[in-house]
Parts: sequence; C-alpha cells; structure tokens
Amino acid sequence: MDHLLTLLIVVPLVGLIPLIAFFRDVRAVKQIAVVTTFVELVLSLVMLAQFHVGEAGFQMVESVAWIPSFGIRYELGVDGISVLLIPMTTLLTFISVLYSTGGAIKERLGEYMAAFLVLEVGMVGVFMALDLFLFYVFFELMLVPMYLIIGIWGGPRKVYATLKFVLFTLAGSLLMLVGIIAVYLASGDAGNRTLSLPELLAHPGRFSGTFQFWVFLAFALAFAIKMPMVPFHTWLPDAHVEAPTAGSIVLAGVLLKAGGYGFLRFALPLFPIGTQAWLPILILLSVVAILYGAIVSVVQKDLKKLVAYSSVAHMGFVTLGIFVLNQQGGVGAVLQMLNHGFVTGALFLFVGIQYEKTHRRQIADLGGLANTWPLYTAFFGVFVLASLGLPGLSGFIGEFLVLVGTFKFNPATGPGGLFWGPAAAIGVILAAVYLLWMFQRVMYGTVREAYRSLPDLSPLEVVCAVPLLVLTVLLGVFPQPAIAIISPSVQRILAFATDASQVVVR
Amino acid sequence: MTWSDVVAVMPEVIVTATAAILLLVDASIGRRAARTWLPLITVLGLIAAIISGPFTVASHTAFGGFVVVDTFTAFFRVLFCVLAIFATVVAPAYLERRSIPAGDYYATILFSTVGAMTIALATDLITVFVGLELMTIPVYVLAGMARRDRYSNEAALKYFLLGAFSSAMLLYGFAWLYGLSGTTSFTGVAAAVARYGLTDGATLVALALVTVGLAFKAAVVPFHQWTPDAYDGAPTPATAFMSVAPKAAAFAAILRIMIGALAPLGLDWSAVFAVLAAVTMTGGNVVALVQPNVKRMLAYSSIAHTGYILAGVAAYQAGASASAGVLFYVFAYGIMNLGAFACLIFIDLDGTRGATLDELNGFARRNAGGALAFAVFLISLTGIPPTVGFVAKVFILGPVLDSGLVWLAVVIALNAVLAAFYYLRVVVHMYMYEVDTNAPRLLNARLLSAGLGLGAVATVLGGIVPDTLYRWALQAAAPFIR
Repeated sequence: MDHLLTLLIVVPLVGLIPLIAFFRDVRAVKQIAVVTTFVELVLSLVMLAQFHVGEAGFQMVESVAWIPSFGIRYELGVDGISVLLIPMTTLLTFISVLYSTGGAIKERLGEYMAAFLVLEVGMVGVFMALDLFLFYVFFELMLVPMYLIIGIWGGPRKVYATLKFVLFTLAGSLLMLVGIIAVYLASGDAGNRTLSLPELLAHPGRFSGTFQFWVFLAFALAFAIKMPMVPFHTWLPDAHVEAPTAGSIVLAGVLLKAGGYGFLRFALPLFPIGTQAWLPILILLSVVAILYGAIVSVVQKDLKKLVAYSSVAHMGFVTLGIFVLNQQGGVGAVLQMLNHGFVTGALFLFVGIQYEKTHRRQIADLGGLANTWPLYTAFFGVFVLASLGLPGLSGFIGEFLVLVGTFKFNPATGPGGLFWGPAAAIGVILAAVYLLWMFQRVMYGTVREAYRSLPDLSPLEVVCAVPLLVLTVLLGVFPQPAIAIISPSVQRILAFATDASQVVVR
Repeated sequence: MTWSDVVAVMPEVIVTATAAILLLVDASIGRRAARTWLPLITVLGLIAAIISGPFTVASHTAFGGFVVVDTFTAFFRVLFCVLAIFATVVAPAYLERRSIPAGDYYATILFSTVGAMTIALATDLITVFVGLELMTIPVYVLAGMARRDRYSNEAALKYFLLGAFSSAMLLYGFAWLYGLSGTTSFTGVAAAVARYGLTDGATLVALALVTVGLAFKAAVVPFHQWTPDAYDGAPTPATAFMSVAPKAAAFAAILRIMIGALAPLGLDWSAVFAVLAAVTMTGGNVVALVQPNVKRMLAYSSIAHTGYILAGVAAYQAGASASAGVLFYVFAYGIMNLGAFACLIFIDLDGTRGATLDELNGFARRNAGGALAFAVFLISLTGIPPTVGFVAKVFILGPVLDSGLVWLAVVIALNAVLAAFYYLRVVVHMYMYEVDTNAPRLLNARLLSAGLGLGAVATVLGGIVPDTLYRWALQAAAPFIR
C-alpha cells in the first residue's frame, strides 16, 4: 500500500458519508462510527507493522504540491515517534467511540460521532504532517470538533469551559502561524521558499540567531498552551471537568500530545539556537509543572479535576525529558507520552464510568466502592498504580528515563541535573500521595447504601478497558521494542537540536 | 466612441441591459410569475456578463484612455457578478415576507454592480468617481428599501449623508491632484506626485483628502461611524450585499489609486495605512465583542475585516503577493460575510432588526442545514482551517511579514483571537443552548438554503484547494507591478 498515510486521513472522512446518510438512525450511527474507527485502528497497526525499525528518518513519505504558488506541499511521513503515537490515537478514538455507544451520550448522537470522526482526521494528521502549513491545518482541525464535543455534550459549565479552551489554544496557535509564515519567508529567496520539514532540515543554518529566538518563542507558546505547561494550564481543568468522558479521554490522551510532539518534531530541530536560548526557562517551567501539578492534585475534591491536574504534572515530565536534550530524556519523554495516553485515558474512562453509575464526582461523596465493584476496583487500581509510576507498569519506564536524563543534564551555566533531578523526583513521590489517597477514599471505607445495588463493569466497559490494561502492562514489563523504534528518531532530532555548528553562533 | 469601446465594456453593458429589461418585465407580468422570473432573469444576466468577460480584449484601453480592461478588471468583474448572484438568490423569501418590491431590489443590485465594475475598469480619477457614485447611490436606496421601517429610513439617510460627505472629500482630493498634475489620468498623476514629492504642501493635502475619502468608503476606523447603523437598519439581504460589494469596490479603488497613481508616495502612505489597519481591526473587534445583536455584531466585525485587508495594502512593498493577498481576501470575505448576514434571514422578525444571540438559541435544532452553513461562515470569518478565511489570513500575513511589519502581523494574530470569541459565541447559542419557548418564527426559504449551502461548500473548498484562486489573484495583481 503506497498511500497508507493518506488512507489513514481519508478513512474517517469516508465514514462520514454513510454517517450523514443515516443521520437520524441511532443504531446505524453507532455501527458506522465503531466500524470506521476500527478500520482506522487496523490500518494504523498495518502501518506500524510496515515500519522499518532502526531507521531514524521519515518513512512512507508522500509528497505532492498543494498550493504551489505559496510553496506549500501535502507532505506526510512517519518516524519512530509518530509511528507509535498514531496507533495510540486510533486506539483511544476507537475506545472513546465504543464507550459512547453504551448510553453515556443521550442526544444528538449523529453530530457527536461526526465530530469524533473529524477530530480523528485532525489528530492523525498532526502526527504525520511534514509540511508546517499542513501541520498547522491539522493542529487547528482538532479544535472545532473538540469545541463542539465539550460545548454540546458537556457538563453544567460547558460553555465557559469550551470557550476558554478554544481561546487559549487559538491565542497560542495564531502566533505560531505568524512564526510559520516567518519561517517560510526566511527559508529562501522568492520562488524557492518552502515549509517542508525535510527540505528545511536538509540545509540547516538558514535562520539567524535573533530570528530563531523569536520564532521559537512563537512555536513554544502554541505547544506550551496545548500541553499545557504551567502557567498556561488553567484551561485544562475546566475543559476536563465539563467534557463528556470520551472527550476527556481523547483530550488528555491525544490532544495534549500534539504539544510535546510539536516541540520534538518542529521546534527543536528547526531552531537549535532558539532551543538553547529558551531551555533554562522551559526546564524551570517543567519542574514547576511537575511539583505544582502534584501539589494541587493532592487537595482536589473533584475526582476528574484531580486526574486533570495530574496530567499537568505528567506533561511536565514530557517537557523536562525533551529539554534536557539527551537520549534518555528524549526517549523517556516519548514513552511518557504513550504511557500518559493509555493510563490517563483509562483513568478518565473509569472516572466517567463511575460518574455514570453514581452521578457523583466529589471524592467526599464516594467511598467503599471496592465492596460493590470488585472488577472495577481491580482495573482502576492497576491504572492508578501505573499512573504513580510503579515499576512493571508503563508509567515507571518513561519517568525513570526522564529522571536519568535529567540527572545527566549538565549545562554550562545555571543549575544542572543534580538540582533539577531531585526536584522532579519529589513529584514522583507526591504522585503516590495523591493517587493512593484518592484511591483509598473512593474505594475503601464505608459504602453508601445508595451505591450497594449499583452494577459492576458492563461487558462493553470491560472491552474498552482491556486493551489499555494490556498495553499498560506490556509497555511496563517489555518496553524494549518501543524503545528500539523510538531511539534512532530521537537521536536524529537531538543531533539537529545540538548541532555544534549552530549552537556556537550564540 | 467606437464599436471596440463598446466591446471592451461588454459585461457592464450586459448587466445594465439586464437591469433595464428587469424593470420592464416587472411592470408587465403578474405577481406569481414575477416570483420566478425576476430572480431568474437577474441571475442569467449576471452569468452572461461573467461569460462575456473573457471575450473583451486584455490590456486594452478604451474610451480615449478612461478605462482599461486588464487582469485586475477581469478579477473584479467576476467577483462583483458572483456577489450580485449570491445577493439575489438569498433575497426572494425575505422580500416577499416584508412586501419589499422585488423588481426594484434586483434592479438596484444590478445598477450598483455596474458601478462597482466601473471602478475596476478605471485608469482615470474621473472614472473612479463616476463608478463610486454609480455604485453607492443604488446602495443608499437599498438601505432604505423597507420604506415603512424607521430603522431602514435612518440607515438610508445616515448612509446617504455620510456617503455624500465622503464623496465630496474624495472629489476635493481629486481636484487637488488635478491641480498638481493638470491631468486626471493615473499615469499623469503618478508623474506629477513623483516630481513634487510629499515636501510639497499641495501633495500632502491631496493625499490626506484622498485617503480620508477612501477610508470612509471602506469603513476604516475612525471613519466608520455610518457602518453599524446603515448595516443594522437596512433590510438583511441588502445588508449582506452592502457589506461586501461596496467594500470590495472601495479596495479596488484604493489599489487603483494608491498603487496605480500614488505609488511614488508609497513609503509615506503605507506607514499611515499600517496604523489605520491596526486601529481598524482592533476597534471593530473590541466593539463587536459586546454586541448582543448578531446583525450589529457582524457589522462591527466587517469593520475589523477592513482592517485585515488594509494591512495587505499597507504591505504593498512586498510586491505582487501583497496585492494578490488583498484580492484573495476580498473575494473570500465577499462570500463568507455575505453568507453570514444572509443566514440571519432565516430568523423571521418584524422590521429590519437582526436577531439577538438569545433569539438564535437552539437554531441548530430548528434548522440543521442553516445552522451548519452559518457555523461554516463564522469559522471561516474567524480564520480557522480548513476554510477560505484561514487561507486568506495567511495570504495577508505573508506580505505583511515580508514587508517588515512584524508588529502588524502580531496585531492581526491577536485580533483573530478576539474575533474568535464573538464569532464562536454565535455557534454556542445555535448549538449549545436549548430553544426558547418564545423563540421567533423561522422563514421557510428553499432558494436561500440552496444558496447558503453552495456558499458554505465554496468556503470549505476554497480552504482546501486555494491555489487556483490565488494564482488568479496573482495574475490580477500583475498590472501593478512595474
């Protein structure tokens, strides 16, 4: 299959056609959405199988002129990082759609599923676009469906939350758009300008130091808001609390990754001098995010908000791993992105399942659920342990590698790894505090009478949870295949980012 | 005047003839037949005008050097005819409901279109002025077409008074230019201003008067005060047309005069234009933020779009890409803004007043197709991909950065966030709120739905495959590149 990547973009759009044709038929809409996202998942696994492990560069590249008069290309490709993030995306989308067929969404199901399919196009596209303009288009394409998913099917303060989400994201991404156009103009003389990443990287050194300083800032703002990094994180708790369960899964599981991925794919290799210049601040903000996210999580009364703030902390590990600029850190960051996708996706799923049954999200209103829901408790427990970084589960390996990388971090000036490493490690301890304490208050203790008769996990919910559980364990005990795929590509990116000929200019 | 002169302006002749035929037909057929035939004749006439365009000689001056047919003309001819078609298609149900005489409406649109097309033909100050008047006077009439509605009266009167005032200002500026150069042709004026430069007081006065006059026509802050009332009070289909065609024509005039005739002063006026652009987009957006009435909000937002387009003019030093960006944006804006106003036609209120945000509550449940089209236009106006509005912003930002106006590019980006707030709030009310019990009636209009559907599809397609239009805009900008 020569055009596998294009196929991945097209399949959800093709699914939209029968979906619109049978718009009012709830059963048909469910079946069409599930089948489409399943086909997409299978295709992404085919892509993973075809990937040549050990090669650092882009594979399965497709490149066609799109807007020739502006030098813009339709250019797709995957490397060791995106080849794993894409199946994660398709899996989480499939699970979200599957879970939503179970009755959590009570109205306007046709619109809901259509939004998810469009969202999937944007998410998959973001991870394989190699032209900056195309990347931006996909980056923004994720925005409108998520805006509708939160705004229409969300909780009581959905309008506030969704507008905040959109305005924060847009503010960052529009400045990035200015940056992208600046890159275009600086890429060459009129007539041979380009936004294609491979072409830009083929001849490094075309951007001056000052240029890189400002354009890196524009890109970093967009990605930092999307991640989100402290202090741009305030949209996240609101968005998560109001979003429907499936929306939260995809938002935490995939959308946040677009920020970390953007740093690795574009900001680091294109602007090595800019990276060096902003690196101290970004490392500081990462560690602040780890500690602040964890401390704030401890005091949360709302279960969903707790998971949301824990995301801020986990994303802090991702940015920390990226900006220590060494192999362990980079690989750890990518693993942490995968782990966060599966585990936090699962946590949001289970918080959602619990809310559907009890209609309570305040931790104080819950308790003793372990007695009535043994199956639920087993699953939820594993994901909580994975989230706090227990060895043998997926959370450990990513955070461990990031910490190793951080300890190795040794800058010419300013505090080094021996300062940041222990600081970040405290975050790991705090994660154990808030997660275990939450688990104890929700699952143990005296159970309320009203909850006694509530049913345990339904078969559908088990089907949704099992793949995530399997991957969490697999990535925990046997991470080597993933590392083998990721490593060469991370190495290649770091080679650009630490290109001595460029960094010396500073 | 020779036969070849007439051939050169064949599209304009066809549109004028259509308007005349329309008035005759309107007088001679019954009400029922008129309902089908009048819009049909209008649309067919406009299509004939578009088709006749390529048969006129390229780069041909006619009428003794008063008009020129070049790629720029060709671009605007098509744009104005397309906008007129769109404005015709969305109107019938509304006109019927408000008992506005349909024949008069279509004929007025056609006459105004001829005026707008004339501006695009101009190579002489006189032609520009004749075109401007021929375009705006029918628009004053359009604004006042709901004769028994006080707001419509107010809109027409206000538009007329300020329009006449600005025309006088512009004409006075033209007189100064004539005094300087002894000619009204663009090339003559360009030679004269190049000779005198801005150090000459007379040049400064002329430049200031012309800039202010054109700024009034394009609704540039602080010369925009007529806009909200005129747009808000006019019958909604008329507003939809008024908000795009005269604005596009004003920018055709700005490009023809500023780059065609006053390019020697470019360094001076482009700095002023950059500041005006920033003030205009920010002013329009900030005031639009607090409007509860959607029609009025769109009026203010159209002022903001003037600012974006003006930024492209200010970046003229970037060369062809700047003018092409302006042309592309004007085209994109024409479709999406006309569409957005026209979506309000569905809400059947008394008088010409537009719907408030609350009256749009749950609109998506009541008319799924209309709401979807409205959402597409609004998302495009915001500048979110994959819509033509997004690509248009990119084509403006490119030359703005290229000419070194980095601050202006940042202002544009931040303004787009402001705009997102109020545009998306409309989507919020349509999709995320329940229908009120006392919600206004909806107009059942098949032709309107079809027109809006086509417009929405064009808006998305223009965002996915923009190359053809952009290439065409580049060609159209070519006459300005020396």
